[in-house]
Amino acid sequence: MKFRRSAPLILIGAIALVVVAASIISGLLFTNMISSVEEKQLSLMHSVVAFGLKGAEDRAMARAAMIADLPRTRSLFAAQDRGGLLAEYSKMFTEQKDKYGVDQAQFHSLPATSFLRLHDPENFGDDLAKFRPMVVAVNRDQIARKGFAVARSGPAIFGVVPMYDPKDKHIGSFEVGIAFDDVLDDLKNTYNIEMALYIDEASLHEFAKGIDPAVFSDQNRVGKFIRSHSTSAAVFNLLVSDKDLGATENTQYTREALGVTYGIVLTPLRDGAGQVIGMVAATSDFSASRSSERRSFVWQALIALFAIVLLAGVILIVIRGTLLRPLEFITSRFATLSTGDESDEIPESDTLCDELKGLAEQYEKLRAAKNKEAE
Amino acid sequence: MKVSILLLLFLAAQMVTAQQPPTSVASPAGSNPGAAKLTTQLPAQDLTKLPMGKGLPVTVRVGIDFQRVTAFDDNEGTFTGTVDMRLRWEDPRLRYPAETIPRGFQEYRGPEAEQKMKEVWTPPVDFTNLKGPPSYQATSLRIFPGGRVEVMQRTTGQFAIPIDASAFPFDKQTLGVDVTVRRETTGEVSLVVLQEDIDFSRPAQDLVIDGWTPGLVSIKRYTEPGWYGEFHSGLDVGLTVARNAGRVIGIVFIPLLAALFIPMLAIWMNSTEEGEFQIDTFELANIVVGGLFAVIALNFTINSIYRSVSTGDNTVTRLFALNYVALGLGLAVVVLLYRYNVPTRLFGRYVQEQVYGYLSWAVPLLAFGTALTFIFVAAS
Repeated sequence: MKFRRSAPLILIGAIALVVVAASIISGLLFTNMISSVEEKQLSLMHSVVAFGLKGAEDRAMARAAMIADLPRTRSLFAAQDRGGLLAEYSKMFTEQKDKYGVDQAQFHSLPATSFLRLHDPENFGDDLAKFRPMVVAVNRDQIARKGFAVARSGPAIFGVVPMYDPKDKHIGSFEVGIAFDDVLDDLKNTYNIEMALYIDEASLHEFAKGIDPAVFSDQNRVGKFIRSHSTSAAVFNLLVSDKDLGATENTQYTREALGVTYGIVLTPLRDGAGQVIGMVAATSDFSASRSSERRSFVWQALIALFAIVLLAGVILIVIRGTLLRPLEFITSRFATLSTGDESDEIPESDTLCDELKGLAEQYEKLRAAKNKEAE
Repeated sequence: MKVSILLLLFLAAQMVTAQQPPTSVASPAGSNPGAAKLTTQLPAQDLTKLPMGKGLPVTVRVGIDFQRVTAFDDNEGTFTGTVDMRLRWEDPRLRYPAETIPRGFQEYRGPEAEQKMKEVWTPPVDFTNLKGPPSYQATSLRIFPGGRVEVMQRTTGQFAIPIDASAFPFDKQTLGVDVTVRRETTGEVSLVVLQEDIDFSRPAQDLVIDGWTPGLVSIKRYTEPGWYGEFHSGLDVGLTVARNAGRVIGIVFIPLLAALFIPMLAIWMNSTEEGEFQIDTFELANIVVGGLFAVIALNFTINSIYRSVSTGDNTVTRLFALNYVALGLGLAVVVLLYRYNVPTRLFGRYVQEQVYGYLSWAVPLLAFGTALTFIFVAAS
């Protein structure tokens, strides 16, 4: 083993190992921190979606409850006066639709038969039992319910309340449906989160007979789902695939599109029977956190390089400059002395370290003795 | 006599009745009170007032189509181009029977549109970052039977934009137009963007910007402070463009990296023999001083071409700073090591020998490592 090479190599290697390990650990910690921030952001997006949908459910329920409880409504519905109900509430519904995003309003006879659709008065008398389990449940249990459903006019957020005649006898139910479009657009405009609604195509074909046929275009088809509304179709085309929509629970992931990393959350929509009828997707730009992660990695690599190079310098200069090179020089002087050649004194011996000064002094003594012997 | 008295009484009663003012007819019980009002003449509506038929705030949908960008000067922070702004809102007062217009909508263009816009309410939105008056502006107005109103305005002009050169030359800039409601507050008028407006807000397919690659259109809402703690709704609709870095790397980064070699040469040109330096200090100091002038000249040259990177924290200013630090280090080596042999005086000739050997590889390694880091950081 040659100490001149091996010792610095071992020491510098050890330092490099420690510094690189420290940098990797630090990098991992920072990555975890970024992941944690992103997790919180995704969690916040879930909360925003849930808050928006719940708010719409509550608004639908409150409107339905108010109208269903009006004495005029109760007496007209008890008298099965379809024309009277339409005359009474048609204008109100138009106002609600125009101003507040109310998309549907419907009276149901027992057990679950459409009595009057304020949004589509010509169509009534159809049985809703097959695709409106919420209406069935409300009329069965006489308990108000709210949730999502694909109705004849398309998917909406419903509040359904039982209806009673003036003598408090249960006679049916009334519902108000709020369009997803307005809810999602509001969320986008408020939180700057892109939103999209995916609905099971089979349900739409089967139940939403009144929906705009243009929604079934190829551009909107994602596996078995139809993207019935989105705030940015171009972004969602790249971020949400049919595989992603196969989830049945809240899902979140990150994905890169057009050079930008996005965080995506998917919230399943369940109807009254608990069946997943669609998915709400929300996405936000995560490129800032990803960019800072990459920048941090590069800076840490530079700091590690500086640490290794500077510490290597200290090792090389101290070991070689103060120990090995003087020792090599003194050894060569001893070698000259031992062969009997004319030897010189060791220059600048006062700058040597104490241990080598002793050796230099011994050399000087030997050299002096040899010179004296020669004289 | 009785007959004449009765006749007089009848005449008197008729006269009293004739002098009484006409009384309104009471509505029959259960009838709509509004029906009686319909018979009266309504005062003419002032259509130039805010349409409140659908409640407040009036939602105005905005779309911006980037038709053409004829010039983009990142040094000045301006771009010249043509944009189409589409505003859509509903004014129930303007509803009319659909069958009256076979085309499906009323359309006004040019002076007619301007005249009509004086007669009806239109959102008072402005391009707040438009520099000076537009060189061209044309407007059209469409009113649909349901009361939907659409204003389309084509504007050619110079728009001021903020430039963020921190990631130069891998930077992306946003050629944005700021649309702000001037008069009404956020409680009265709100600018929004829906999917249809996003579909409308796009760059023209044949849009070409020299030295830049057009990307997507981004839209951000903002509020601008008004008087008395009120705010005005605004939208920043921007076309993202990415700089074509290849061209800049040749012009800017090769000279900057090459300049880093100058102080390295001052270190490498010397040599030691038994701890003694062989080359005259004066010659090596000349290399460093020459390098200083070269970097200053390069600084002036690059700053005159790319003024946007002349100030602030960006890759170019960092690389210049690194060059100056490297020159300073080179000068310190020349003076302290070559001229005054400070390590020898303090620790002996062997330490100086090792210091020199160390500096000859450590300084270039750290300098170029730092330079690459600056570039990678900008690219990430």
